[in-house]
Amino acid sequence: MKAVFLDGIVLGLQMGLLGVGLTLIYGLGGVLNLSHGQFAVLGAIVMARVLQHGASLWMAVPLGLLAAAAVAVLSDLTIMQPVYRLRGEARVLLGLLLMLGVGTIIDGYLEWKYPIEALNIRISGDPISIIGVPMRVGSLVASAIALAAGAALFVFLRYTTFGRATRSIIEDEEGARLCGINPALVRTLIFGLSGALAGLVAVSRAMTSPVISTAGVELTILALIVAVVGGLGSVSGAFVAGVLLGIVNTVSAFYIGTYITTIVLLAAAALTIVFRPAGILGRRA
Amino acid sequence: MAESAAMGSQSASGAATPHSPAAADPEALLRVESLSSGYLGEDVVLDVNLTVAAGEAVAVIGSNGAGKTTLLKTICGLIPTTAGETRFGSRRLTGLGAHRVARLGVAFVPAERHLFNTMSVEENLALGAYPHRPDPETLDSVFELFPRLGERRGQHAGTMSGGEQQMLAVGRALMSRPRLLILDEPTTGLAPVLASEAYATLGRLRGEGLTVLVAEQHVPLALSLADRAYVLDHGRVDLEGSSAELADNPEVRRAYLGIS
Repeated sequence: MKAVFLDGIVLGLQMGLLGVGLTLIYGLGGVLNLSHGQFAVLGAIVMARVLQHGASLWMAVPLGLLAAAAVAVLSDLTIMQPVYRLRGEARVLLGLLLMLGVGTIIDGYLEWKYPIEALNIRISGDPISIIGVPMRVGSLVASAIALAAGAALFVFLRYTTFGRATRSIIEDEEGARLCGINPALVRTLIFGLSGALAGLVAVSRAMTSPVISTAGVELTILALIVAVVGGLGSVSGAFVAGVLLGIVNTVSAFYIGTYITTIVLLAAAALTIVFRPAGILGRRA
Repeated sequence: MAESAAMGSQSASGAATPHSPAAADPEALLRVESLSSGYLGEDVVLDVNLTVAAGEAVAVIGSNGAGKTTLLKTICGLIPTTAGETRFGSRRLTGLGAHRVARLGVAFVPAERHLFNTMSVEENLALGAYPHRPDPETLDSVFELFPRLGERRGQHAGTMSGGEQQMLAVGRALMSRPRLLILDEPTTGLAPVLASEAYATLGRLRGEGLTVLVAEQHVPLALSLADRAYVLDHGRVDLEGSSAELADNPEVRRAYLGIS
C-alpha cells in the first residue's frame, strides 16, 4: 500500500506540472490549450532524436524544451490572434477548437514521421529506500524535477515583477492594463513558458516510463482533468490536484484495474465541477 | 437659437473668459479635441473638447449616463476613439493601448477600482509601480497619505472596506508617479463622510502640484476641488467654466445643486 501511495505521488507531481501549464494559459487568455499534451510529446520526440545523434542529455533537454516553447509561442502569435479579439464564450470556444486543431496537426505529423519513436531516459543507480519502500532513482529524479519546477514557478509568480504582472492579468485584466502591463506580451511569454513546462513534464515522465509519439491526446486529457479539478486559472490548485489525482490514479489502477483509471479521473473532474466549481482550493491564483 | 447658444458652451466657456487662463493655454497637458466614442457602433460621447493644464484640477460633472465614464475611459485607451483625438503633452494618446497610456504618466482610477483582490495591499501597490523600478520613496508617500494602507499592508485587497479599497485604488495609481491623475466617480459606494475625506485627499494631492481630472455626480464636492468644470449632458459638453461661475449658473444650480 505504501508503495502504491508513493508511486501515486511520483505520478501526481508530473500530473501537477502538466495541469499548471494548462491552467496558466486559461487564466491569462481564457484559452483551453487542447494541444498541451502534444507540446509535451513534441518536446520529447525532439529530445529523443537529438539523443540518437549522440548528443548528451544536457544538450537534448534544452533543445526539446525550446522546441515545445517555440511551437507554443508560434501558436499564440498566429492562430490565437483572432481568438483574443473575441470575448466571453466565443473566445473560449474558438480557442479550444483551434488548439484542438494544432494538437491534431502535431499528432498527425509525429505519427507519420516518427511512429515508433519514444523518449526513454534511464537514470542509473541502486534503488533508494523511502519510508521502507525501495524507490527507483529515476522516479526520485523525476519527482525532484517536478517539485523544483513547481517551486521555481511559485517563486516566479509570487516574488518577481513579471510573475506578479502575470497574476494580476489572471485576476483583473483591465486593472493590469491600467498599471501599464501589456497583457498580450505577458500572454505570449507565458504561452512559451507553458510549452517549456510541457516539455519538462515529458522529461520527468520519460524517467519513469517511455513517452511515445502518440501519447499527446492522453496527456492533454490528463492536463485538462487536473486543471479543472484544481480550478481553472489556479496554479497552486492545479499542483495540489495533480498530486491528489496521481494518488487516486495509482490506487484505483492497483485495486481495480488500469482500464478504470481514466473513468475515475473524469469522475473526479465532474464531481469537482458540481460540488466545488472554483476548484479544490476554492480560490484563484 | 440665440438663447440656446447662450446656454451652450460659449457663454460660460472658461476659454473665452479671463477667469481661467489655463483653458486657453495651447500647451495644455491634456487636450481632447472633437472626441467621439462609444460602444458597439453607437457613440455615447459626442464631439467633446476638453483641456487640462499642468497643475490644474478639472471636473467633469453630469448626471448618470451623461457619458462621463465613457469619456474618461476613451482618454485612457480602454475604449476606442471613433472620431477626434486626445493629446498628452506632445504625445498623441489616441490609438495607444491602455497600458501605453498608463506608461506615459496618465493614471486612471476607475469607479469599479479594478483592484487585485487576492493580492495584498503591498502587492497591489507594487503593481502600480510596474513601469518603473521599485521606489521606496513613493511607497512611503502613499503610506503617509493613507496611513490605513500602511497598517494593512499584508491584507488582501478583496477583504477591505469600500473606503479602504478606494484609498488603495488611488494609492496604486500614485505609485506610477503620474503626471495626470484621472478619477471616475471616486466617491462611488462611500458614505458621505468618507466621500468628503476622499476629496480632502485629492485637494491635498492637488496642492502638491498633481494635475487632476475627475468625473463626479456629486457636484458640490467636485466644484469644491476643481478650478474648472465641464457639464456633460447626453454625451456633449453643455457648459464649461470656472467652478465659481458654474456654481452660480442657474441651470447648474437647478439641475445639479438642488437649488432653485
